[in-house]
Amino acid sequence: MKFVRSVLVFALALCPAICSAQNASVTRDGSVTIVSQPDPNASLTGVEITIDAGLDRQQLSQNGLAALAAQTILETPIDNERLLDAVSSSGGSINFRIESHEVRFYVEALSADAPTVLTLFSHALSAPDFSAATVHAAREALYAKIAAQQGEPLDVGIQMLDLAVADGANSGSPPLGNPASLIQYSPSDVAAFYRAYYRRGNELISAVGRVDAVGERGLLALANTLPAGSTRAIETRVIPLRAQGQQLVARRAISSPWLVVDYAAPPFNSNDYGPMLVLSAFLQRTLGDIAEVPGTITPTLASQAVGAEYEFDTAPAKLTLYVDGGIGDAGQSFGAALSVVKLLGTTKIQGSIDQFKRIAEGDFGERASTLQEQAWLAGLFVQRTGSPAYLSATLRAIDATTPADLQRVAHRYLGNPTIALVLPRTSN
Amino acid sequence: VTVRALLAMASCIALAFPLCASALPEQQSGTLPHGGTFIVASDLTAPTAAIDLWFRAPDAGYEGTMPGIARVAAASAAATKLEIGSSLAQMVTAAGGQLTISVYPDLVSVGIVVPPQAARRILAAATSAYFAPAIDAAALTDGEKDTMVQVLQQQYEADVLAQNALFEKLFVSAPGDQPPVPMTPTDVSRITLTDVQAFATRAFRSGNAFLTMAGAVDSAMLDAVTDGTAQSPDRPIDETTASSIPETSTEQADVAGAGIAWIGPPVSDERAATALDFIADYLFGDDGTAARAVQQQDPHVFLRGQFITLHDPGVMLVMLDGATSDGPQESVLAAVRAMQQPLAQPAFDAAREAFLYHINQQTQTPGEQADMLGWYAAEGAPNYAPGGSDYDRIARSLDPDYVAAVARRYLSRPAVVRIVEAAQSQTGSSI
Repeated sequence: MKFVRSVLVFALALCPAICSAQNASVTRDGSVTIVSQPDPNASLTGVEITIDAGLDRQQLSQNGLAALAAQTILETPIDNERLLDAVSSSGGSINFRIESHEVRFYVEALSADAPTVLTLFSHALSAPDFSAATVHAAREALYAKIAAQQGEPLDVGIQMLDLAVADGANSGSPPLGNPASLIQYSPSDVAAFYRAYYRRGNELISAVGRVDAVGERGLLALANTLPAGSTRAIETRVIPLRAQGQQLVARRAISSPWLVVDYAAPPFNSNDYGPMLVLSAFLQRTLGDIAEVPGTITPTLASQAVGAEYEFDTAPAKLTLYVDGGIGDAGQSFGAALSVVKLLGTTKIQGSIDQFKRIAEGDFGERASTLQEQAWLAGLFVQRTGSPAYLSATLRAIDATTPADLQRVAHRYLGNPTIALVLPRTSN
Repeated sequence: VTVRALLAMASCIALAFPLCASALPEQQSGTLPHGGTFIVASDLTAPTAAIDLWFRAPDAGYEGTMPGIARVAAASAAATKLEIGSSLAQMVTAAGGQLTISVYPDLVSVGIVVPPQAARRILAAATSAYFAPAIDAAALTDGEKDTMVQVLQQQYEADVLAQNALFEKLFVSAPGDQPPVPMTPTDVSRITLTDVQAFATRAFRSGNAFLTMAGAVDSAMLDAVTDGTAQSPDRPIDETTASSIPETSTEQADVAGAGIAWIGPPVSDERAATALDFIADYLFGDDGTAARAVQQQDPHVFLRGQFITLHDPGVMLVMLDGATSDGPQESVLAAVRAMQQPLAQPAFDAAREAFLYHINQQTQTPGEQADMLGWYAAEGAPNYAPGGSDYDRIARSLDPDYVAAVARRYLSRPAVVRIVEAAQSQTGSSI
């Protein structure tokens, strides 16, 4: 297949005094896309590979199977050492995330070790070990991850809400499954899932940092690890919540109650992306100010116990607000934030919103500081917009936001929350 | 094609590229207009700019009698209204940035991360706030309040309590034996405006500063530094260690945990310090052998361990948050004892490569880079910052026998503090 290559250089128009440019190139080889963000200043090479083998490839009865397949790859022995350890011994790391549609593996290594580490990963990716022992090890690893998540009230709340608001019943299921579902899958189930969905159709590889260490050939070799072919999502219907007030309650072994609230939000290729980033910054600041000890200069635990997260990559996108009831008064904090939200949607905003725009810029810049986030953002933007210029596009969207935009977005999206309460078990 | 053959091919590809990059971008360094040192590690493609100010200053004041004064002074300076009518803290917030103040026994640091377009303005404000401190009563009130919250918070942080208790055992005088954030609100409230002004004027002078910048910054920005008085820097502060350290003691608090510490080499012994960094990574990193053992023993215990590179001496410190029995601590001590024997060469090579990756991985963001540069410059070893080429070279020179020898020399006599929840304890002193 013929290569189609376009090299793009994106200037950051909003910080002319200091920023130079985000260099990125996009290469397409049939159904595979390769995004490359070389950074000669980096010492590491990071590569994210995105495969259409996420939650929506699972039947409703296969909760956790996508994660088990991915974890099995990480546990696959290579020369008597599981991939995770082999990568670590070679000067790198590997992890994965299960998303609604995809699984994303992220491999990072010292640049000198990157070719070796990618070769190790390619080998495990192309021929995972589906022996009973390896699948058992993968299952045990997932149990440990799930147990850790269940001790994090925010994760518990978000997973409850995902189930309620996702596009499909399977795509909103817990990314790692749960112990009761995982125990049912035999090695052949895992192998069948892998054979069905680990295809290179629609595959995306996003490389960042010292990309020269692996070169275009190395990335292409990785891209061609999987067999050709593409797959389709399994459609499942979400059963609508019938309760009058959409409140979900769970009890876990935690020390204090948490309130987690989801609002619908625009996807990042919408005109409302910039205003929602600013609105999210505004809500984060408002919640923080309400919770914070007045007059403090540096962030305290009180302001870190509340937050607003705009998840623009999920399907559907959402804005999540959360309050830790163990620090301060969750009801008061959240009540005040809701009042502000209501006011925003109905009252004309007076004065400048510049400060919130700067906060949104700062938050995004901080988020985009690690190689893994940069690889993810570039890949995401290419998938949805065709361009890897996440930084300039985002800064432009924030800068263009007007008070009227903010009000419109508040009015459009912040009307109908779904609320999750994560409460301590009475037996704690 | 076998995996070995594939790996051999990969190695050949690797050899074709000049890949000995360090995590820290190329640095420019020099003297600030009114004295003090600057180090700039510029990466203009970074999405943020990090500006750090580091000062050599004792946490409990120059007489060692005022716990918390360094923290209060640093916070008060950040809260002081500058000529333009806003404080540094307000300016950083308005710019969409973050400001953190960290105090160690011998150092004070002010860390700022902002969007690139605000960097020059914030640099001017930060150097004005600290190099020409004009702390008034209102700023002191804010500085005290900020510190007071830290005092209250740390009552629930077992690792902080254990570290404070361990340092008090290891060192016989200030600043080492004093907690960087005082243990009681009274310590904070008795600090006067005069005390703070005198401390800030002496500690935060330009000549005593190490300005480190990383990310979307440029040395041309340094023309924004206009304040300061030209004086030579203070010498790095050394600690006096206790002649005998009681092996184990118990303290009461609102949370449970344990801490273990060993006296290590000074920063000037760079190879030994690096060996202890390696040991800390091998044992206490996320997937470290001791960390795994503790996790298997009790998944509710959170282990954190590191070698703290101080001017003289350094400290190997291990914290076991949530430990309510001796088991986790025994696991750690057993793992440390095992390091006194050399690792097999293949295992050592793998661990060293993993260690080098972790060092680079932890020095990725502008904030992390500015922190690393600032700490090591203030401790008197600016070229030895992890992520730099010197550190990389020393780490690659380590071998199993040397690491085992360092473990035998420095990790034989641990000091242990058990933090027991007050309700469970019958004896022991209260923190």
